[in-house]
Amino acid sequence: MIREIVLWPARELGRRAERLTLATLDAMLASRVGEEAVDRVLDSELAKRAIARAVERVADEMGEGPALDSPAMDRLVARLLESDELWLIVDEIAQSPAVTEAITRQSVGFADQVAGQVRDRSRSADARLERAARRMLRREP
Amino acid sequence: MTDYQGLVTRAIAFAVDAAIINLVALLVGVGMGLALSILSVGDEAEVVLLACGGVAFFAWSIAYFAVFWSTTGQTPGDRLMQIRVCREDGELVRPRQALLRFGAMVLAALPLFAGFLPVLVDDRRRGLHDMLAETVVVGVSAEPRSTRVPRASSSPVPP
Repeated sequence: MIREIVLWPARELGRRAERLTLATLDAMLASRVGEEAVDRVLDSELAKRAIARAVERVADEMGEGPALDSPAMDRLVARLLESDELWLIVDEIAQSPAVTEAITRQSVGFADQVAGQVRDRSRSADARLERAARRMLRREP
Repeated sequence: MTDYQGLVTRAIAFAVDAAIINLVALLVGVGMGLALSILSVGDEAEVVLLACGGVAFFAWSIAYFAVFWSTTGQTPGDRLMQIRVCREDGELVRPRQALLRFGAMVLAALPLFAGFLPVLVDDRRRGLHDMLAETVVVGVSAEPRSTRVPRASSSPVPP
């Protein structure tokens, strides 16, 4: 109990100091100065090196090379293409009802479009042919 | 304004129908030929069978057009081109009228298709077969079923 009474001011002081620090940090981040500071930090060589190292580490953890255009990535792609599982997945996707339905819908749409074009052209050909026939027979259009 | 249909549109629709008729006839013919190849038929029987095939083909052609014209007013080719055969008052063609139209269509085609030329100059774009069977060919979107078609005197030629 006595210990609590003795430590209470110290704890309260620490809590207030923490709140004050966080409030100051929030104010700084919200200000133009804070924005500028973050930009500068991100533009710094140190930050760039740190980000590059983090990305490389993540890629290494995934078991392959660090960059997309690296030989390791080429090997990964080649292995992927050789694997039967990939083609099984591709087959599954290709045969899925959603994909086949989409293809059917697109084909029907295309056929409709072609039929529409034929109709439009045939109707304008009708008009031209009739104009020519009426001219030949000297009949009023 | 009634959307009477012209020669090119109708010719394309007819070409589609002719392709369907011939394709079906071809498939049936090949099937029958294969079936008959198993059996040994004499020369005379072969001639009779060929004649029967010819009659069947003609009957199939008549039935195709007559049934479609008198039931829906549209053959598959007409449907593709969005046109419809109907009576002058806009009603469906009667079976007898459909048969007459088919016969007249054959007649119109005999003198080098000259019977179809009136379509180019007639006010309602009618060929010889249309005149004989008292039918017209209209656009489906412009002329819904059971809508009366105006006579030539009151309807100018559509563009």
